[in-house]
Amino acid sequence: MTAEVAEKLRALPESSAVSMRLKSDQYFDAIQGMIDRFAIKKDLEVVYVTSTIPSQSIINALEVLEIPMEHIWFVDCISQIMMSQEKRHPHAIIVESPTMLENIMLKVEFLLRRVPDRNALVVLDSINSLAIHNNTKILSEFLHILVNNLRSRGAYTVIFSMQEYETEEIRNMLVLVSDETIELGAYSGS
Amino acid sequence: MPPLFSNLILSAFISNSAHPVCTPESMPTKEHANSERERCVTGIDAIDHILNGGIPRGNTVLISGSVGTGKTSICIEFLIRGAINGENSLYLSVTEPTDKLLQNVIPFDFFDDRLARQGKLQFLDLPKMYEKLGIDKEDLDFDQTRLLADTIASLVEEQKIKRLVLDSVTSVCYRIREQERIRDFLLRLGTVLSAKGCTTLLVSEIRSSEEGYSQWGVEEALADGVIVTGNLERRGDLLRTLQIVKMRGTTHSRAKYVLDLTTSGVLLVPLLKGGSVAGGG
Repeated sequence: MTAEVAEKLRALPESSAVSMRLKSDQYFDAIQGMIDRFAIKKDLEVVYVTSTIPSQSIINALEVLEIPMEHIWFVDCISQIMMSQEKRHPHAIIVESPTMLENIMLKVEFLLRRVPDRNALVVLDSINSLAIHNNTKILSEFLHILVNNLRSRGAYTVIFSMQEYETEEIRNMLVLVSDETIELGAYSGS
Repeated sequence: MPPLFSNLILSAFISNSAHPVCTPESMPTKEHANSERERCVTGIDAIDHILNGGIPRGNTVLISGSVGTGKTSICIEFLIRGAINGENSLYLSVTEPTDKLLQNVIPFDFFDDRLARQGKLQFLDLPKMYEKLGIDKEDLDFDQTRLLADTIASLVEEQKIKRLVLDSVTSVCYRIREQERIRDFLLRLGTVLSAKGCTTLLVSEIRSSEEGYSQWGVEEALADGVIVTGNLERRGDLLRTLQIVKMRGTTHSRAKYVLDLTTSGVLLVPLLKGGSVAGGG
C-alpha cells in the first residue's frame, strides 16, 4: 500500500491540498508511503503536524524504518496536553494544546521560513483529533487559512482523516478545502 | 490688533511650539493625498504587510502593551532589520541596563555582531544620559525636559539615526509627571525626529486591565501610530496578540493578529474568529 500512496501523491501537481481518508490499521503504512516513498524521493521538506499521537511515537516508527530525519520536522500539539515526560526530539516543536490553532499556523510558518528555497509537504494528522478539541467553525476557518497559505507557497498539504471517526461535518469541511481526496479504504490495510 | 503685534505673537508661538506652522503650501491637496509617503520598511514581514509597505517614514509610533506581550522583541527586531538595511538604529533603554536586556533577548538568526561594532546598531542607557546632563532629581522640571528632548534630537542628528526606540516612554513620563510637560516633550521630540526622517517607536507600558493605550493619555494622542500588543485568553489558552489601531499616512488593517516570537523574528497570523472568545485582549 505504501507504493500506492506515493503513486497517488506523485500524480498531483504542486500546491495540491489532499484529504487522505484512511482506516486506523492503515495509519503507519500511509505515513511510510507519504514520507519515505513520496516526500524523500521528491526532496521535499516535511512539516508534520500531529494532534493524534505524540511526535516521538512517529519518530520511533520512522527510525525503525530507517527513514532519515534530516528534512522532517514535527509540530506536536498533543505531547504537552498529555503531560508526556518523553524526551523532546530536536526536530519537534511543541504547541501547548490542539486548541491553539493559530500557534499551529505560526509554527508551520516558522519551519517553512527556515528553508525558503525548498518545496514542502505539510501533513495534518488528523482532522478528527483536531475536531475533538475544536468546534467546526473555528476548525474550518483554520483549514481555510492554512491551506490557502500553503497553496500560495507551492507546498503540498495532506490532511489525514480516519474513516472510523468521520462525521458529516468533517467530510464537508474537507471537501471545501481539498483539491483531491485519496481514499485508502479500498486496500483494507493489505 | 496691529500687524506688528500679531506677527510678534505668531513668531513667539512658532519659537515655543514643536508644531511646524501649516502654510497654504503644506495644506493637503488632492495631488498630495494621492502621493505615497516614503516608507520605513520594518523588515517584520507581517507588520509591513498590514501597513501596506511599512511605517510612513518619520512617524512616531507607540508600541503599547502589558508585560510579556512582545513589545521589546518587536522593537529590537525593528532596529536590527534597519541596521542590516543600512539605517543607523538606536535603542534608548530606560528600564533595564542594555547588558541585561541583551542577555534576555531572543537570539535572532539574522543578528550579526558586526552591526554593533560598525555603529549601525547602538544601545544606550538613558540613566547614563541623565547623569551626563546633570539631571539628578527624580522629577524633571520644564528646562530639564527640554534639555532631554534636545539631547536625544542632537544624538539622532549626529549619529544619523534613522530608527529610534525609546523603551519605555512611560518611565520617562514618570519623571516628567506633569501632563503639560509630557505633551511638550513628546511634541518637541516627535517633530524634530520626524523632520530628520527618523522613525521612532515609543514603548508604552500599560496594565492589561487598563483602558486606553498609555499611562498618561497624552502619548497615544500625540503619536502618529499606535500598535497594541496583548494577551488574549481563550478557553484557558493564552495567546499573544497584536493590533494596529492607528497609523497616520497609510491605510492599514485594524484586525487582531496572533503573534509568535521566534528566532526567525516576529511572526503573525490572523486571530481566528470562529470560536467563542472569552475575555478581552
